[in-house]
Amino acid sequence: MTDKIFYFIMVPMVYVAFAWCIIGTTVKVMGIIRSPKLPNTLKIFPESKTPVLAAIKDAFTMPTVRKHNPVFWLFLLAFHVAVALLIIAHLDLIPQLRITQADSPHMIGNGAVGVVLTISAVYFLLRRFRTPVRELSVPADYLILCLLFCIFLTGDVISWGNSWSPDGFVITKQDLGSYMSGLLRFTFQDPRDLLSGSHYAVVGTHVLLANLFLMVLPFSKIMHSFFAVPLNLLRRV
Amino acid sequence: MEKEQREKLLELFSEKLTSAARMYLENCSRCGLCVEACHVYASCPETRYTAVGRAQNIRRLYEKYFKFSGKIAPWLNEAVELDDYWMEKVYETAYTCTGCRRCMTFCPFGIDTQLIQSIAKLMLIGADMEPKVLTMLADVSIAKGDNIDATKANFAEAVHKLESEVIEKWRTEAGADTIPLEVQGAKVLYVALAGKHSIIPAAAIMNAAGEKWSLSYFEAVNFGAFVGHPKKTKEIAQRIVDEATRLGVAEVVICECGTAYRVMKHMTGEHPFKVITFVELIARYLNEGRIKLDKSKIKGRITYHDPCQIARNGGIYEEPRRILKLLTDDFVDLEPNRQANWCCGGGGGLVVIGEKDFRMKSAKVKADQVKASAADILCTACENCHSQLSDLNEHYKLGVKVEFLSNLVSQALVREEKDYVPCACRTAAVG
Repeated sequence: MTDKIFYFIMVPMVYVAFAWCIIGTTVKVMGIIRSPKLPNTLKIFPESKTPVLAAIKDAFTMPTVRKHNPVFWLFLLAFHVAVALLIIAHLDLIPQLRITQADSPHMIGNGAVGVVLTISAVYFLLRRFRTPVRELSVPADYLILCLLFCIFLTGDVISWGNSWSPDGFVITKQDLGSYMSGLLRFTFQDPRDLLSGSHYAVVGTHVLLANLFLMVLPFSKIMHSFFAVPLNLLRRV
Repeated sequence: MEKEQREKLLELFSEKLTSAARMYLENCSRCGLCVEACHVYASCPETRYTAVGRAQNIRRLYEKYFKFSGKIAPWLNEAVELDDYWMEKVYETAYTCTGCRRCMTFCPFGIDTQLIQSIAKLMLIGADMEPKVLTMLADVSIAKGDNIDATKANFAEAVHKLESEVIEKWRTEAGADTIPLEVQGAKVLYVALAGKHSIIPAAAIMNAAGEKWSLSYFEAVNFGAFVGHPKKTKEIAQRIVDEATRLGVAEVVICECGTAYRVMKHMTGEHPFKVITFVELIARYLNEGRIKLDKSKIKGRITYHDPCQIARNGGIYEEPRRILKLLTDDFVDLEPNRQANWCCGGGGGLVVIGEKDFRMKSAKVKADQVKASAADILCTACENCHSQLSDLNEHYKLGVKVEFLSNLVSQALVREEKDYVPCACRTAAVG
């Protein structure tokens, strides 16, 4: 029974989660695009001579946060850079897309990316327990951060578990690559055949949480990843 | 609350759901960065007086009635029912915020609380809960526009009575009207407020500059915008647009009224004429050498309060400072200033409604800022700000003289043309 549950999580649920996320995100984005446009400007001054570039800069470097809360900004910047590296690192697992050397046993960043993400998530979570952010926060704010924290933590455990095993890398980067390659090719092969290490349950948990994240993403504030630039553009043009 | 009433209010809510409003309602991460931006929170630190706190009152309704997640798991984002109790919260969103938009300069996404506030204001109108004085004044403005021919003679007579006071400041050329009305082909249509304080100094300055101008029959202030009624806002602004178009003026110059300027400049679309503030016009006259100021006329240290709707929301930062530096050698900026300046606490219709206790309590930070400047004269370029700053001056015993910029300029006009010697450096300073 456990094997069947893990198989469901590791294969069919991954497809469902991705499909749900893509459809949900598309519906959300289209809903906003199709809404009536405001006839007047919402810009604030002074104006920028290159408003589009300024909006992109606002979205990616968050100058208002740097100015008003430098510590928060440091964590935010570290977190977002690490998220970008995390996406690249997961793509790097796929043999056809590999950026690092084929026989490299480590993810990009040698585990440091996961540590940065985990620490940042803890910081974001803890600051929500302090006034005045505590009074402003809603359950969804805590839950999404807890979910992210658990995803990052299980990712860290997978990374560390590989290194700490007395037998060496029990689930190697190449094994994970084979699993992801199978998903991409829709082979529906049981991942247990490829991932023989003792911490398979942690990998399964990591994938389950990631699936859940993908499914809640279109309904969460994480959608700001799609809207940060258009939002900043509103105050620029 | 009756079901029909709720549906009516939600219909009004949905009318405001533009793409911008949806993005603002869906993407706030409640990071709390905007908390420190609000002058109300800075003066009385309660969560309900934060930009995000006010927006949450509307966002929680949006979650309940317009989002899938609010229907299946309302507890996740604390979705709420629209009822009589929650309409009190909606009122709080609408009328504890002055719409200064300082929070936009803190928010990493630039969320505009004023836009979210506009949803609250429209719902209050639908629930017949808006401050009635604002609706009444908006209706009076519209009625004046509908019956302008019947009131023109009375208006002309009232204006004529002001002419002697204008002449005291600047003699009128022979054959010229001191306060001209209905000037076809005038370069400038000056739109004043109902009080003589916004007509006399402006008339003296424009006459001194030899401007071909005409006084509008209509008052600049837009009570439709204060109450948040889009149709009335447009109708009130349209009266001025029609008059300017009929006279064929090149520029509509809005008196010292921040909201009037923002509505006319940024919220009523494209016009066949240019819209500027009177502050910009004064700066231009000085730049072109058409008027000259005597620095010895105004005594004491002067500071300047940037009206939010003219500065942060209108882009007029440097012109008033250039003018003031030609008025005095003792100008000091408030700290913070320009985009970061604290709101006076009187915008968004609060001065008109009254709400004096709240206005005084919520603008303590402004009073502290003025006190720290050690200025003798607190100058501004907005009627609302002037009223609020005057109240603050009295309430907190700041000991400053609150003045309109135009009034200071009119007092310092150099009267004799022969005295005027063009000064290259001065001209360069007023760009």
